[in-house]
Amino acid sequence: MSTTTRGPIPNGGGLMRRLNLGTAILTGVVFGFVGWYISGKLFGFGDGPDNGWGRDRVWIITMTMWAIGFMAGIGAFVGPIRWLMGRDQQFEDQMYLAGKNQGISRYFKFTTDHKVIGIQYLIITMLLFFVGGILAMLIRTDLISKNTEIFGPQTYNAVVGLHGIVMIIATIIMVTGPFGNFVVPIMIGARDMAFPRLNALSFWLIACVVPILLSAVFLGGIPTGWSAYEPLGSQAPPGMDSYLMTIIIFAISSGVAGANIITTVVKMRARGMTWNRTPIFVYGVVASVGLALPAFPTFMASQIISGVDRATGTVFYDTAAGGNDWLYTNLFWLMGHPEVYVILIPGLAAMMEYVPVFVRKPLFNFNAAVIGIAGIVGLSVMVWAHHMYMTGWAPNLNAPFMLTTELISVPTGMLFLVFVGTLWRGKVWARLPMLAIYAMLWNFIIGGITGIYLSDVPVDVALHGSMYVTAHFHYTLMGAGLVGAMGAVMYWFPKVTGRMFDEKIGGWGFWISQIGFNVTFMGMFAVGLAGQPRRVSAYSSLFAHGNFISTMGAYTIFIGMLIFLAAIIHSWTSGEKATANPWGAKTLEWQVPTPVPLENFEVLPIITSDPYGYGVPEKINEPQLEPVHAGDHR
Amino acid sequence: MKRVFTALVTVLLGAALVFGIASFLHVSNLQNAPVVAEVRGTAQTAQGVLPHAFIALSTYPDSLAGEHGPSGGSHPDWVSYGPSTDISLPAHSLVTMTITQYDSGEVLNNPYFAKVAGTVATPGDGTADGQMLLDGRPVSQVSPEHIGHTFTIHELSSPSQDNLFVNVPLPAVSDDAMPDSGYTKTPHVITFSFITGSAGKYVWNCEYPCGDGTYRKFGDVMGARSFMSGTVTVA
Amino acid sequence: MSDSVDTQPATSKFRAWIKRPYIRHVFLIWLAVTILIELFGPVQAHLMGAPASESMKAIEDTISLFTYAAAPVAALVISVVIYSIFGWRQAKSAGPSDESPAIRTNGPATTAWVLVSSILCVFLLIWGLGEMNSLAPKASSAKPIVIDAIGNQWAWNFKYPGSGNIESHELVMPKDQPIIFHVTSVDVIHSLWIVQLGVKIDANPFRVTLAHVTPTRIGRFSVRCAELCGLYHAHMQTDAVVLSPDDFNKWVANGGRS
Repeated sequence: MSTTTRGPIPNGGGLMRRLNLGTAILTGVVFGFVGWYISGKLFGFGDGPDNGWGRDRVWIITMTMWAIGFMAGIGAFVGPIRWLMGRDQQFEDQMYLAGKNQGISRYFKFTTDHKVIGIQYLIITMLLFFVGGILAMLIRTDLISKNTEIFGPQTYNAVVGLHGIVMIIATIIMVTGPFGNFVVPIMIGARDMAFPRLNALSFWLIACVVPILLSAVFLGGIPTGWSAYEPLGSQAPPGMDSYLMTIIIFAISSGVAGANIITTVVKMRARGMTWNRTPIFVYGVVASVGLALPAFPTFMASQIISGVDRATGTVFYDTAAGGNDWLYTNLFWLMGHPEVYVILIPGLAAMMEYVPVFVRKPLFNFNAAVIGIAGIVGLSVMVWAHHMYMTGWAPNLNAPFMLTTELISVPTGMLFLVFVGTLWRGKVWARLPMLAIYAMLWNFIIGGITGIYLSDVPVDVALHGSMYVTAHFHYTLMGAGLVGAMGAVMYWFPKVTGRMFDEKIGGWGFWISQIGFNVTFMGMFAVGLAGQPRRVSAYSSLFAHGNFISTMGAYTIFIGMLIFLAAIIHSWTSGEKATANPWGAKTLEWQVPTPVPLENFEVLPIITSDPYGYGVPEKINEPQLEPVHAGDHR
Repeated sequence: MKRVFTALVTVLLGAALVFGIASFLHVSNLQNAPVVAEVRGTAQTAQGVLPHAFIALSTYPDSLAGEHGPSGGSHPDWVSYGPSTDISLPAHSLVTMTITQYDSGEVLNNPYFAKVAGTVATPGDGTADGQMLLDGRPVSQVSPEHIGHTFTIHELSSPSQDNLFVNVPLPAVSDDAMPDSGYTKTPHVITFSFITGSAGKYVWNCEYPCGDGTYRKFGDVMGARSFMSGTVTVA
Repeated sequence: MSDSVDTQPATSKFRAWIKRPYIRHVFLIWLAVTILIELFGPVQAHLMGAPASESMKAIEDTISLFTYAAAPVAALVISVVIYSIFGWRQAKSAGPSDESPAIRTNGPATTAWVLVSSILCVFLLIWGLGEMNSLAPKASSAKPIVIDAIGNQWAWNFKYPGSGNIESHELVMPKDQPIIFHVTSVDVIHSLWIVQLGVKIDANPFRVTLAHVTPTRIGRFSVRCAELCGLYHAHMQTDAVVLSPDDFNKWVANGGRS
């Protein structure tokens, strides 16, 4: 990011010139403290009807005040307030907000440049993975043997829940955040997103949410698992308030981001970029955020209701009092299933985007890729109750949900067709991003097929709620989704950082983590089949070997991932400088210089073909087209 | 070389962080010294002559007398068992436990736990199998409407240790016998015996819900170790 | 003008296609991987243990069958991956290739792929529906014994309303006798999982859900809770004991003691 000659910082920006992460934290802490103090005086810290439900009210109000303070301190409200006062932003303000010539300080401010926001997302995603990874190591250490009790079931349950939600948030944003932001606008030939300030807002809402999420550590944790089922959640300590506030704010962030990305891609593609010429990665990102738009609000609703139940004594989820715990379960899974495709699709789409680059032939059957993605998105909103086969909620619906769930295997199969077809007869340039595709395909085939087993209702009788489920979703979300994200990081590394990713050290890290990954979760399939339930802090001696193996595998993942992280850090700070297009790729982001200029393009491009025109045209089996001459009639 | 060094340092720092956090969590979750059953002689049981061990616990309406010390720790108003919630028992023995119950109470969530289960006769006090001695009288169940606490041992269905399920209800001290401060002079005294099997690790918890303000009153104190739940180590 | 368009008959095109060297190689790898996965198939049923009911047997058979059916599909992806790594990879020092064929799509391949995956999907569905149907309780069988299963934090207890209202901590059942569980909870959601009998149903607060089974093997099995329910979820376990009908009657007559 070093520019040797920087021009002057633009005038404009007004109050925004003084606001940054520091002022945000300061204002957030002050507001939060005021909220805590006043609500503590009003409600007290007791719990329950005799105590005015004080404890949860105090924490929810504190966290809300922190959020408002933080967002005020970063300048999120400055734009809307100025507009209400009749002073919309001028060109100089826009240039200032875009971070022009501000060097490294622009990463700590409400900067609207999509490239800055992409890097901000990348850093925060890596931080979340780091925290989630540490929690995973704690979990596996506590399970290393039947009788190990490093910290007892109370803390264990809290660690499990926190690990789950931290990883879910990290995986949701891991590709659309960094690369949906940095790459997509350039890839479609635009100068920035449709709503740059909304873009900054969606990132800073995440930054605001991370301390709220981590506050659970001090408030008794999230001992319900990341799914926070009711009515179990209503017995849990105030860590659940951290959880529900995190989800509510996160849903706002992802909704804003979704609206922004979809508008950008629909309205701001360069001239000539028809839908047939739009890169598949763009489709993947749009599909993911588009799916999140209807899905996450149900999650948000479920948590708002939880908050109201906790803080005011309503009984929405209390069956005995007239409520219905299945309301929660349905609201949660209405989000929960689409959400896994929100996580999975961008990573797959990134890999579909760059596999042609490394095999130097077109993406096989682009239309199948689009239809596959669309089919997954469409079906994913109709399968949620396969998570509820065993609840007894609606046994007559088990069969229809089995139908819709098994149908998803068809569009998913089409995505496999695209990968296999692209690999077919392609001479491989074996760089590390390409090798990651092999790892992803191996993991995804295992994850996908075990998902089919789970979708069968009678089989689910044996496997639901067991470690088999845990292994299945780690194979799909981590083995396919995260590996896709790691591939995206390695592929776009030269464009984002201006340096080449160290494939030697990075390769060691990647493959060590992959070996560890397969050992860990194969062990979990085994103990799940043998009868070990999920989320248990202690287990029968029957499962001892499997758990020991899983723990050894987990430590291996940790070592591998840390080496990979070291490669990222080292390459970013002192790696070999990259040219503008080291891969010789055809998509637009590789046609602009590195580092990418503030406004991306000198002149907006006009598109005349799709970006997959690689390879030597086949002479056999393809009709030769002859140009039509004026006056010819056929 | 610098790259390898960076990788090594990152791995070591990561491992140190995990180790540090795990150690911190371990230390902050350490329970106080367990209460150990004392073996005094042998007894004749249905399984032959076994060592006879004795152990005494109490249940209190606050946390001032148990393992949390006279200040009561972080939740002095939470009910607690004492002197410790970690219990150590000898394997293949007849264990006679006496619990002194100082707390008031109301109705159970599940009336099943008002019945005595898993006990054997205590030699010499008139109880039969499946009974307990309540203030000098052998009973096999009490009213589920007026329970102070229960002592319930749970097992893990595992081939490596014998099953061990014991449940005794501890009736509540009536509300008018509860003093404004200190403990009642007329607690209930419950004595019961059971036979331990092979060595193993078990848990116990109280099934009377005293987590006021939470759903079904089973949150807060009920979900926290060292108050109304603990471990039983048979060795 | 039309001789520039390919007019070879489809069958001879196909025969020519099969003869290509990489087709043979990929086919052999595919065969080897399929066989390897098929050999691995029975491991899963072995891990699940000997079934103690018809339902569990059906579950184990289904998992084995699905593995046998999935093996060629997985093998196809894996064999192409393997051949891509070893057969189509370039020398390490080479840059991007300039020889890969510009194949945009392939109608027959796509059609075959979608067709086969749809057929497999329909097969899965029919099999699943058939299984669900055959495992549903039949009205003609012997009158089932009703056992109430009550879950609470953190133990199971079982009541036998038709057998003298016995209350028991362990789940005792007679062999070859249909049993219906009325499952409920007094607090949070639990899940009754009788592992080797292939029974799993959530225990919901203040609602009754049903499950049924006919045990086919005498022995001691595991009852575990399969839905996180708080502090001692891991210890919410007990044994399921299947006795011969005579022993079960003795147990009942003895008031629920052996």
